[in-house]
Amino acid sequence: MNKQINRPKIVWLQAITCNGNTHSFLSANTNRLKLFLNSFDLVYHPSLTTDILLDELLEKNEGIDFLLVEGAITSNKEFFQISDQTTSEVLKKLLLKSKYLIAIGSCASYGGVHKKFEQNSDILGLEEALEKKDISSLIHPIVNLTGCPVHPEWILQTLFSLKEYKKIALDDEGRPKEIYSYLAHHGCTRNEYFEWKVEAKSFGLKEGCLFYEQGCRGPMTHSNCNKVLWNDVNSKTRAGMPCIGCTELDFPRENMLETKKNIGIPHEVPLGISKRAYLSLTGVAKTFKIDRLNERIIK
Amino acid sequence: MKTIDIVERIEGEAKLVCQWDKKKISDVKIQFLNFRGFEFILKDKPVLDALVYTPRICGICGQAHLKATVEALEDIYKNHNEKLAVTNKAKLLREIGLNIEIIDSHIKWFYMFIMPDAVKFSNNSFDEYSAIKGKKWLEASSIASETIKALALIGGQWPHTSYMIPGGVVSDPTLLDLISIQNYMDQAIRFYEDSLVGIDLENYLTLSDFEDLHKLKGDLKDFITISFENEFERIGKSYNRQLVLGDSLSFEKGKVNRKLIKNIDFENIKELTTNSFDVDKIKTSKDAYTWSKTALYANNFYETGPLARAVVQNRNFVSDIHKNYKDSMLTRVIARVDELGFLLYKTKQLIKQIDINEDSYIKPKISLSEFKYGIGQSAIEASRGSLYHELEIEDDKILKYDVITPTVWNLGPGVDGKLSTSQKAIIGTDSIEKAKLILRSFDVCSVCTTH
Repeated sequence: MNKQINRPKIVWLQAITCNGNTHSFLSANTNRLKLFLNSFDLVYHPSLTTDILLDELLEKNEGIDFLLVEGAITSNKEFFQISDQTTSEVLKKLLLKSKYLIAIGSCASYGGVHKKFEQNSDILGLEEALEKKDISSLIHPIVNLTGCPVHPEWILQTLFSLKEYKKIALDDEGRPKEIYSYLAHHGCTRNEYFEWKVEAKSFGLKEGCLFYEQGCRGPMTHSNCNKVLWNDVNSKTRAGMPCIGCTELDFPRENMLETKKNIGIPHEVPLGISKRAYLSLTGVAKTFKIDRLNERIIK
Repeated sequence: MKTIDIVERIEGEAKLVCQWDKKKISDVKIQFLNFRGFEFILKDKPVLDALVYTPRICGICGQAHLKATVEALEDIYKNHNEKLAVTNKAKLLREIGLNIEIIDSHIKWFYMFIMPDAVKFSNNSFDEYSAIKGKKWLEASSIASETIKALALIGGQWPHTSYMIPGGVVSDPTLLDLISIQNYMDQAIRFYEDSLVGIDLENYLTLSDFEDLHKLKGDLKDFITISFENEFERIGKSYNRQLVLGDSLSFEKGKVNRKLIKNIDFENIKELTTNSFDVDKIKTSKDAYTWSKTALYANNFYETGPLARAVVQNRNFVSDIHKNYKDSMLTRVIARVDELGFLLYKTKQLIKQIDINEDSYIKPKISLSEFKYGIGQSAIEASRGSLYHELEIEDDKILKYDVITPTVWNLGPGVDGKLSTSQKAIIGTDSIEKAKLILRSFDVCSVCTTH
């Protein structure tokens, strides 16, 4: 019973969002989600909990261990309000009693898709929306879990890590290093095609790499989507959909489903590889025509 | 007397502003006060990027938006007499994906958004339904998460994949993938049989008489019992007009306004902003109170969603319940749970129809950028009802994008002295708790409403 009382308290706030991160989280591995619910006290989530309304939560003095925010923040009340207040006001009030602040998804991290709504010039990620004085109660830098949506396992691993070790190593963008040091490319089942520079002849095929024509950002996108699979079973690039780089701060970019090229070579080369190295290797790889890689996998 | 209540757990929130007279709600305004401006975001974007943007209108029904975008883009080809060839396999994979998303949504709706509130109307203790802690809540979240894996097998992940593109789909599942998808459906069918309706799906699908409601067991029986104890079969009634804009392998288009007509003309769709805020404040009318617009078909308000689909398609069981209890809250809730069973059965059939030797994708002979100008429309049946997309393109950029979501049909503001479907359903109710449950019976999606 004591165990129940000591569970860290979580509040999940929804700001300007599509709720995609909530549904991603609900789609977590069932046993993992149950363990989460047994290990933490989800005090408030606007789509899930029923015990308390946001208004009542704001009145309460009780401390919050983890404040999770899904969605971008604005101080514009005409476009966006929750419980009669701006998302900025609600965030700041909750933050005063919180120990950790975690941005759930790209919108909370840096504005994401919603920041593209230019008629409201005040749509921000958490870091941008907050001043030093607002985060005085935090005992850890803001954690940005980018992704559109964020992978449920990234949320769970981050929370369990912070519960256990009290801190987590972050990269320059405030993202947990152990998740975002990998590239989406790592573990993609199409890697052999990438190695030998065999492009996918079109969409809708099991064969070929999507980097050359279809716009895949796997080799330059920080995420472990092909290491920790989605919904336990798959990833976009494995299925045949190019990575659109949704964990990076420049998402959403333009022309996401095609590769911008210079003299037949992708304009942007894999992260940290010099253009010269990439061109040389490509030149060599292309001199070989490997039958197996140009045939159907399953014949 | 006037009351203002904030309703949560509807994919965002809404405000219910009620006027009371003699202990009954005499007028109601449903306010959606959040606006995200997707139609503005889409303007001037490269045309195909819409495939990435529109699923992100909604975290729970993104695949419906994706399918609507794809079909609207394909409509542009058609309007240029360049109709795209899309294989049967691609069509099936699109519809199966959408159906799985609807199945997932209906499970969550019943257990997370309806039952925790409905049980409060009973004197019995129903702790099993309590949110987060209750056994049934947990079981439902578990089966929803399992079911959606089937969609990830086709689309790579859920939410937010863009696996449908003009010309087909990006993926090429193996026969083993299809078997796994079948397995996930079977798992959900087991849940439907054992937990939700308490009888075999095959048996369930033969029910045709409203009195068969009493044959049901399982969790739906709990709802039915609570309903008859509280006269849910008599509240929540609206115009009893039904609208299905989308045509598919699973649903038929049509409308019921006293009589059933299986013909839909997009020309009859009208979107009004009489009572809606405008991004340009100067253009906002003085009567505006919500960001939701108003959607009318042939100048009338209609209900859209599972009840409309069952009635237009004349599915026996729901049609007979509807005949007896009209468009009451009870009928609306049963219709959604019924559709869950129907879609599980239907989707399994569709999976079987896939010929894996067909192409997943046929590259369009010309690219959309080659059309100087184009216009396209589409209507899709989404979890909550008919979803309409319309776009205009010019020089490979989006000139204008218009989205009318199911919740706009059901919950947009009334105009010109005419009440909207949900307003009419709520007026006359004698408690705010009932009014909120009526609102929930439409399966409100706040984020979609004001996109």
